Amino acid sequence: MSISFFVNGVLQEVEDSRAEGRLIDYLHDDLYLTGTKFCCGIGVCRACTVTVSKPPNPVPSPVISCSTVLATLDGSHVSTIESVARDGVLDPVQEAFLHNFSFQCGYCTPGFVMAARLLLDRLAVAPVPHDQLDEAIHDAIGAHICRCTGYVRYYEALRPLAEAAIVGEGAAQ
Amino acid sequence: MTSDLSQRQPLCGPQISRRHVLTGLMGTVAVSILGVPSMARATGQAQVGRTASTVPGIASQRIDGVAKVTGQKVYARDFNARDMDGWPDLQWYGMYLRALTTQGAFLGLDLSTLPEAAKPRRVILGDQLSDAMRAPRTLFRRDLAIDLQLQERYQAQRADPSFDRPDAVVFDLIVQPGNRPDFLGQAVALLVFDDIGSFRAAQRAMQFQDARFQRYEAALERAPAPAPGQPFFPQTTYVKYQDAFSYATADPDTYMAQVPNYRARIDAYLDAHPEFPRQSFMSRMRAMDPMFMEPETGLVWQDRATGTMNLVLGTQSPDHDVENILSMYDTPDAPFALSGITLTSCYPGGGFGGRDSSPFSLMLALAGAYADGNPLRLAYDRFEQFRVGLKRHAADISGELVVAPDMTLQSVQMDLTFDGGGRKNLSPYVASLAALCAGGSYTVPFANIHAKALHTENISGGSQRGFGGPQAFFAIETALDDLAVGQGWDPFALRRKNLLTPGDATVVGGPIRQELRLAEMLDIAEAHPAWADRDAIKADYARRGLTYGTGMAMSLQAYGTSGDGMIAAILIEPDGALTVQSGAVDMGNGSATTLGVVIGDILGANAAQVDMGGYTLWGQTGLTTDDPEGLRWDNPKWTAKSVGSSSACLTGLHQVHTVQQTAHGLMAAAVLPAARQIWGLGTLDRSQVTWTDGQLVFLPGGKDALPWPQIAGFIHANGLPRGALGHAYFQDIWSEADFPTDSGLVRLQLDGLSLYQTGSAGPVRITRQNTTGPDRGSKRYARYVWAPCVNVVGLAVDRRTGIVQTETVLSVLNAGRVHVPQLVSGQSQGGVAMAISYTLLEDMPPGMAGPADGRWNLHRYHVARAQDVPLATRLAPHRRSQELIVLPESPGDGKAGRGIAEAVMCSVPPAISNALRDAVGVRYADLPITPEVILKGLNP
Repeated sequence: MSISFFVNGVLQEVEDSRAEGRLIDYLHDDLYLTGTKFCCGIGVCRACTVTVSKPPNPVPSPVISCSTVLATLDGSHVSTIESVARDGVLDPVQEAFLHNFSFQCGYCTPGFVMAARLLLDRLAVAPVPHDQLDEAIHDAIGAHICRCTGYVRYYEALRPLAEAAIVGEGAAQ
Repeated sequence: MTSDLSQRQPLCGPQISRRHVLTGLMGTVAVSILGVPSMARATGQAQVGRTASTVPGIASQRIDGVAKVTGQKVYARDFNARDMDGWPDLQWYGMYLRALTTQGAFLGLDLSTLPEAAKPRRVILGDQLSDAMRAPRTLFRRDLAIDLQLQERYQAQRADPSFDRPDAVVFDLIVQPGNRPDFLGQAVALLVFDDIGSFRAAQRAMQFQDARFQRYEAALERAPAPAPGQPFFPQTTYVKYQDAFSYATADPDTYMAQVPNYRARIDAYLDAHPEFPRQSFMSRMRAMDPMFMEPETGLVWQDRATGTMNLVLGTQSPDHDVENILSMYDTPDAPFALSGITLTSCYPGGGFGGRDSSPFSLMLALAGAYADGNPLRLAYDRFEQFRVGLKRHAADISGELVVAPDMTLQSVQMDLTFDGGGRKNLSPYVASLAALCAGGSYTVPFANIHAKALHTENISGGSQRGFGGPQAFFAIETALDDLAVGQGWDPFALRRKNLLTPGDATVVGGPIRQELRLAEMLDIAEAHPAWADRDAIKADYARRGLTYGTGMAMSLQAYGTSGDGMIAAILIEPDGALTVQSGAVDMGNGSATTLGVVIGDILGANAAQVDMGGYTLWGQTGLTTDDPEGLRWDNPKWTAKSVGSSSACLTGLHQVHTVQQTAHGLMAAAVLPAARQIWGLGTLDRSQVTWTDGQLVFLPGGKDALPWPQIAGFIHANGLPRGALGHAYFQDIWSEADFPTDSGLVRLQLDGLSLYQTGSAGPVRITRQNTTGPDRGSKRYARYVWAPCVNVVGLAVDRRTGIVQTETVLSVLNAGRVHVPQLVSGQSQGGVAMAISYTLLEDMPPGMAGPADGRWNLHRYHVARAQDVPLATRLAPHRRSQELIVLPESPGDGKAGRGIAEAVMCSVPPAISNALRDAVGVRYADLPITPEVILKGLNP
């Protein structure tokens, strides 16, 4: 028996003996995908956020990879920061964070990117009223910890993209 | 707008290895510094330092930004042996076990219950180490006694005792069985695993189970040395008696002997004025974890075939780390004959001082000796990082302010005691700067300040953001607030009455020479609606059933140390691209981005690449800090200091200055001579040219403008210098000299300039002339340049839960010239968040009740999240917001920036406490002010 799942579209099969292994360790040790960052290891800081969808529900959710064991991923599709820029072109979220100087040391940034990307995708298919946008943004990235920036520039960068998303303009992946 | 990654190729090929040679007892060791390596199993290098703005002088994004936002490998945590060019793929793993008590002797381990799959390949105890490995003589500064020796040397030879000494490893790196641990968290054993499976199995089996595997004697009567509670050397005493006596102006040899007399005279003066209002104060502050996001991680590979120790680290102090590691192996009984150290210097995932002289690098180098020549990875998890990582010191501060009835401050008396923890590290120097900060932003005729850092069993303190300033400013600014309330004085008026201005002296006695503009800053803050409308705002909150308060505070944080040496190089590639190399490390503060654009006005283009962490550039300058004949600046090879640890606050002035002066040197030595020859002129002066759209234009006209590729091509084809290496020294003033170039003598505020000549492997030093520089005396001023900040904080208190919500933060900042506005505001916003967190959230008990027990993580240690921070950047009614007002640049700034990374958080904590007093009428003098503390204050 084995556990099967996809990472960035590539099929992975691991033995059941590794069922209790953490997703972040698999990404780092087996796939050499180190863009997903380890910080607290207990699911609090959310630096290690990836997105996961599991049929029959095609809608991805944010997942804390440091606290997710491989056993729970059978049949899932995992996306990491390495999948966000396509063919060398940055995603609008990455562009926004980059040009707004949203990050400093940058260690928390992949987690913010994944959560923000997910928010924009959701808003594109299920817009919220404008007066609920702040709450939606906060729900998406409010639990993420950043020690350098004070969060201001992350929010400033994401807000215009979210506004565009709810009126059906751009920013969708 | 998009960034096309595929079109961005490395501009300069593999990053440049910078080598220099250190000489130890066992011979010479070549040290090399490498940039971040290429990615494993992928093409190209991480886009670190390679995504420059094309508009000269303007940063459109962080130069390290693309790499970070796309998750490329840039941090030490990202690398394994397989990623390193030329390393074996097989990698071992290290794990240290940590002392659980200082009360009984460590007897040994019992790993019998460890599952077979979790067994280490090797167990190393303290008694298996050689003397040098167990307790390396870190640059002849092994223990506390070395400071006494240095002091004796100073008194005997009048030599300069450097402020920025390497840290001292006081105790064994691994406790020897039978000995009592010297501090909690000291290593008692090293476990080495030869595969990741057993390592991870051991992690799972042993985490939180320390007591199961360690054996201790129940009690031990003999005392450790030094006994807990003893102060680390040196202690700091600043006694100032008007203009007659101070630390800075008194004879250093008799200063301490005169102190008691002047203390008595101060007491007598104050006793003679019983009408003077007095304000006593007492504050206790808990330690704080820097909580940088990337736990400390490193790789080590001892290549025994070549005698090279290869390291991968993210550190703020590559110089200290390398030199201390060298001392570990610089003995006849070293397990490995070391002939070279190669350090791959990664971007740190945050620092805040926590990676400055961290013991981590020594622990990594130690572990590397027991991996049988295989690469070894040491990677702390967050529990370990909390357990052993350097902290902001816990502090006890008490004292008294005395003021005349006309609000003129008469005296500051303050005693500051810092919990240094188990290792000395930089603790006494942190306490020393706190003593300077005890005087606040004010001119004080009488001062009686004493600061010390104690050795205790607790986790070591280090050079956290603010370096003692946050604690000291909290004490004086809350005391001033109490004084104002008690006397019915306006807090702005009280402060305005006593502001330092140029010509005044600090409590150390050093002169203020720099323009401060404190009164202007107070005027701005006082007129701002956050303060001017505070009563109306409070009433508005009250109508909504909420308790609101407003507080203000100010700080005058120094940046730099008592003497700073900096190094920078600028290289011209054949295609005209420019590369800046610096000895500084970018901890995320944006140093690399800044240094890449500040040459724009001078050389007509930004750097296309910026390489950081190259402290070994110093070894190529041809300069020395040895001065056996006492010639000082008359010796054309001498400078007062090579390079020091990286601090974010050193960028705005110190590092920028060094890069810019080096750029001026390169302009005179290479660019102008090239243009003169291309244009066929006999002479060409700098005043005759200007840069326009990246082309050099001859102002008198009649010549074609020269694009950079043409200039660079000519330079490389005709043997002109293809780069310059500059060294600068600042200690109240810059050292400066005349340097002969092909454009004639050029005077630069550098003490070293070397040129990369075609055909020469390294840079060649130009012999400087007419050198001037700081004298010995100004070293005792302690600090010279300042970054003032005024904060007004508005907050709401939930009297039922004790929860405090910061509603508004106004920051008025004197940043001098702002090189990159986004980076300055980003530092401010980050500082505000960290200050709110320090003041209201972050709580860390000492001893085994705190993180020393190995069970602390972010579930128990709470740092600010977005909900804790006002996010809007313009103050407006009913909207949580923070606003930064940066003073417009003035002629007095001399086009120089200021290091503001620490300043932006120093006055927020006292402003919060002052706002709480305004809100609920209670002085919260201890930190942190958690909801429990709030409730206790409301219901005493």
